Amino acid sequence: MQSIIILSILVLLAPLVGGLVYGIERKVKARMQNRMGPNILQPFYDFFKLADKRLVMVHSTHAFLGVMHFISIWVAVAVLIFGGDLILVIFLHLLSTALLIMGGFSTRSIFSHLGANRTAISILAYEPVLIIMAVSIYAVNGSFQISSIIGSEPLLYKMPLTFIALLLILPIKLKKSPFDVAEAHQEIAGGAEIEYSGIFFEAIYTAKWLDYIFVYALVFLFGGSNYLLGAGLVVGTFIYLNALDNSSARVDYRQMLKFSYFVALPVAFINLLITLFN
Amino acid sequence: MRPVRFNINAKKANIQDAVATVQAPPGFSGEGFFTTKMSDVVGLARKNSMWPLPFATSCCGIEFMATMASHYDLSRFGAERVGFSPRQCDLLMVMGTISKKMGPVLRQVYLQMAEPRWVLSVGACASSGGIFDTYSVLQGIDQVIPVDVYVPGCPPRPEAIIDGFMRIQDLVGQESIRRRNSEQYKALLNSYGIE
Repeated sequence: MQSIIILSILVLLAPLVGGLVYGIERKVKARMQNRMGPNILQPFYDFFKLADKRLVMVHSTHAFLGVMHFISIWVAVAVLIFGGDLILVIFLHLLSTALLIMGGFSTRSIFSHLGANRTAISILAYEPVLIIMAVSIYAVNGSFQISSIIGSEPLLYKMPLTFIALLLILPIKLKKSPFDVAEAHQEIAGGAEIEYSGIFFEAIYTAKWLDYIFVYALVFLFGGSNYLLGAGLVVGTFIYLNALDNSSARVDYRQMLKFSYFVALPVAFINLLITLFN
Repeated sequence: MRPVRFNINAKKANIQDAVATVQAPPGFSGEGFFTTKMSDVVGLARKNSMWPLPFATSCCGIEFMATMASHYDLSRFGAERVGFSPRQCDLLMVMGTISKKMGPVLRQVYLQMAEPRWVLSVGACASSGGIFDTYSVLQGIDQVIPVDVYVPGCPPRPEAIIDGFMRIQDLVGQESIRRRNSEQYKALLNSYGIE
């Protein structure tokens, strides 16, 4: 009973922690580019400001899909924290992205369409690797339950190649350079969320914080019962993502797909074969 | 009708009985303590999260790029996220010569921004027409939209743009939470033929 309360509090705090992670990330990124960077609490300033903007919506379905995007990703994070089914988590996350894509396509704006199109392409790029990751975890662990994965010995030693594949697709997932085609600000002005504003944009903005929690929790899973190793992996991944984001330029979406299918996917697949025949 | 979540005008207490009400001592009437704290918090948040919408038509836009870059770094003030959708932005930065044909476009962009919104006029051309005292150039953008702060210079240095930006921040931090519902603001917009 007590653990349920603690987990519920964790779920409720998840957006707050995600916002803090986002703030720290912006600061780290700024220091890497030799500038001062915004305040660490910057995402929360944005949050309060967006809450009080005047309500402007394109149409009600569009706004509803944006809010549902936020809610479904929060549910995915909740299932992840409560130790539910890994496959369920991955598909809830897919659902939230699909809702965003539908929202993007529901307006008449061409930039919104382009952004939704590219988000769909990036799903094509990263989703197979995530599913292969779940299958290899099942092959090693005999269970999709996250609570049993967290209780077992570290997955990193048994499936290092899968972890490398995960690292390769995380920039696509989090829309970071060199794979940030989905929200390329200079080309398509921000992606599928371009038509949202005010409180509805806030839902998209907060969903981005939850995305960080989702990704870093997936990375944390590789530590297994060794929480220190998991925390180390999370910090290492954070530094790796920011260094990569700052040191690379955007590639074409075809190159992104090719990279995902010919590098990341085979790496994950080889690891799956090794675990299956071991 | 626009959504109004707080009452600007305090409601009169509807006391019919013979209950004596205490007169508040001077200095304690007006906005309640809670709303004052609320407006402080929102003012702080708004002040530190002004998302600029660059409307750059000529050379002042180059100075703006320098302002956004590493050395001057406008993101220190929370203006890191340059939005190219007017709906998501708070601050319209007009940089450069606005010709008379561009005037309606500028006004359209201003109207598309969701309130609260502010306007920073950067450079001599945007503020007053500058050296272009000709038939084709708008003599100052305040002929079509209300402007909050003018930054002089031809073009202004990034320091000057940052100074103008900080003046906007001062304005935003001290403003009442619902400036957009006040009579004064409505009268100002009406004088520009908006709403």
